[in-house]
Amino acid sequence: MTDITRRKFLELSVKLAAVMGLGTSAIPQVAEALEQLSAGTAPVLWLQGQSCSGCSVSLLNSEEPGPAQILTGYISLLFHSTLSASTGDVSMGVINRSIDHGGYLLVVEGSIPAGMPEACVVGQEPLTRQVSRAARNAKAVIALGTCASFGGIPAAENNPTGAVSLPNFLKSEGVSTPVIILPGCPAHPDWLVGTLVHVLKFGIPPLDDKGRPKMFFSRLIHDQCPRFADYERENFAKTFSDEGCLFKLGCLGPNTHADCTLRHWNSGTNCCIKAGAPCIGCASEDFAARTLFPFYRKGERNKREEG
Amino acid sequence: MSRTVSIDPITRIEGHLAIHIEIDSNRVINAFSSGEMFRGFEVILKGRDPLDAQQITQRICGVCSVSHGSASILAQDAAYGATPPKNGRLIRNLILGANYIQSHILHFYHLASLDFVDITAITKYTGRDPLLRDLKRWIKDQMSSNVIYSAAPFLPRYSAKYIQNTELNVLAIKHYLDALDMRSLAHKMGAVFGGKLPHAATLVPGGVTEKVTADKIAAYKSMISKLQTFIDKSYLPDVAEVAAAFSKYFRMGKGCGNLLAYGVFPESADNSVKLLPSGVVTGGKLISFDATRITEDVRYSRYSSSSGLHPSQGQTVPEPHKNGAYSWLKAPRYNETVMEVGPLARIMVAYLKGENQAIKDLVNGLLAKLRRKPEDLLSVLGRHAARAIECKVVADRCAEWVEELIPGEPTFHDFNIPETGEGVGLTEAPRGALGHWLKIDNYKIGRYQCVAPTTWNCSPRDDNGNRGAVEQALTGTPIADSKNPIEATRVVRSFDPCIACAVH
Repeated sequence: MTDITRRKFLELSVKLAAVMGLGTSAIPQVAEALEQLSAGTAPVLWLQGQSCSGCSVSLLNSEEPGPAQILTGYISLLFHSTLSASTGDVSMGVINRSIDHGGYLLVVEGSIPAGMPEACVVGQEPLTRQVSRAARNAKAVIALGTCASFGGIPAAENNPTGAVSLPNFLKSEGVSTPVIILPGCPAHPDWLVGTLVHVLKFGIPPLDDKGRPKMFFSRLIHDQCPRFADYERENFAKTFSDEGCLFKLGCLGPNTHADCTLRHWNSGTNCCIKAGAPCIGCASEDFAARTLFPFYRKGERNKREEG
Repeated sequence: MSRTVSIDPITRIEGHLAIHIEIDSNRVINAFSSGEMFRGFEVILKGRDPLDAQQITQRICGVCSVSHGSASILAQDAAYGATPPKNGRLIRNLILGANYIQSHILHFYHLASLDFVDITAITKYTGRDPLLRDLKRWIKDQMSSNVIYSAAPFLPRYSAKYIQNTELNVLAIKHYLDALDMRSLAHKMGAVFGGKLPHAATLVPGGVTEKVTADKIAAYKSMISKLQTFIDKSYLPDVAEVAAAFSKYFRMGKGCGNLLAYGVFPESADNSVKLLPSGVVTGGKLISFDATRITEDVRYSRYSSSSGLHPSQGQTVPEPHKNGAYSWLKAPRYNETVMEVGPLARIMVAYLKGENQAIKDLVNGLLAKLRRKPEDLLSVLGRHAARAIECKVVADRCAEWVEELIPGEPTFHDFNIPETGEGVGLTEAPRGALGHWLKIDNYKIGRYQCVAPTTWNCSPRDDNGNRGAVEQALTGTPIADSKNPIEATRVVRSFDPCIACAVH
């Protein structure tokens, strides 16, 4: 146990329960979950596929709890390519022994190059094989970010590597370990921390038909939009930086399930729509999927005006 | 008899890098740098709306996302004839500056410092700092428990000679923890105008979508002031301490000695003046930079496309089984010459140019303190020192730029996308020179090519067989124990590699 006392656990639990949208009655259970976590009972193995590390960087932006608390008080992070002190053979030893030992939560960031295994290799082993091995022995798998959840940009139309999402890859490998997906480009740190705590204390959280925790992804961004009144009044922005609803600039809030507009990013500082940027649907299944489905509709308007 | 040692994966960098070294008589005599992850962004971008590019290319990298967004909107500004208003240019710099600060702090403390600092020294801590006492108890508990890997991810590690002085180790560990909060704060600061980080939402051709209000100015000012204090009181002194404890690393990892900077942080509407200027240093002499002299070779890269093309004509056709190829990185060259890019290149170009007094004073001050000459900066420790100096220069200028913002004035000038056009976006990511080359055909992206910092630094051999910058820096490095080749990882990490960028 660390110096984090029962009282500190309770303080953290209040914040976490709020993050997860749980009532105050859940606070003692969350506190207990945190204590178990701090006892080193929650080993996490983290593998990166075709990723940009953005979801890892996003996790480091977690405020309550902060990254140091997560690493020392919540989980035992067996391996993480960006944070581990180990390197080379020492890292491969950790990965392989952890997989043999089993019983960890596996977090996978990035898509899986199913059509070109040479496109992602770690320790001279194709990631396809490594992820398959690691998922088989995991208690549960978290596909973190849109690439792991849905394929994302690496799996977009015309992609050269045959990239697929983690759930689709594991299905094709016959791996039946439960998978939770946390889309978002990047995923919000609260979504990962909240999901980890839920898995460890309450089991797998209620998921929607795509495998997303309902507590974070049950509602459309459009329905929780700070510019919703502008939409109702048909006060539409005509170009970037205009006041008004961003729908006619291509905003994908009406197609995207996430809670960014309520939760905000970077410790509640801001979010895309609030900052005048149309939602590009980064947490949606279709994010960037089709070549001829642009993020913004501004280009269309230009062409119409010229024509 | 030489033997080959593979360091695979190289951790505490961004992405998937393997380094293969040949060691003879405890010295590296040959090195191969292999980027091991490919997604094909340039292929995926073809045929899309050009406005998609600044969002899609940011996803090349979650550490340098703002730099890719910046390169893309600069390329689009050029192609559309769009010019941001002053507020727009300043906000772009403020978001990019925030990301520089988070990236440099992350690199020194969380990526590189564990090669020098002995984390187990915390068990000898006797002070009263509650964070450090927590950490001490955690490590002690972990080491006496039956968990599969105690004190992961900080152990296991190479067995090697780390810092011996307990007090210095403890201070560095304290700053490792502080730095977690500081880099997060830098991202929070960037999100004030960027909407969110990583992957900023507000960057668009013609400026930014976010507006200027006094509350945002006040928030940014408050955060930059805390970051300036951390850089002055912790980051710069800590780099000097590590330099004093490992002074032989001023003579290790020299590399090719050629430095290239495209320049970054526009100070004028036409981008002609930049806080950190462009330039090329060869043989210790500064010459002007000419973007037409860049080519990318692929003889040893896993592509079947033509070699030696300028990026405006670049191609990306993957061939994973190509004979003789050992990396997913292409091999960019300037005038057919190997170049190193990064904070060291930017700071040396600015230093030799001599127009920025603050940079001259910072470099001269540090060199005097450590009793070093400017040429000693071409080294492992020189790269760390240049990065820290640059972090201060950028933070100090951010604190000034935010004061120049005017609430209510525009942040965006409108534009139209032409039926055909071309544009180049040259900027700098925290880890070095970054260029995007855009061609528009029938309102769509006809060609998109990116040459990223680590493409330069970690490139494989070029068509003439010349080793890449990191391969050259490794060659000659003494390795005390080939089972724990920590000297090689110190050399590689000093470049702050980012493989997601380098291959894309």
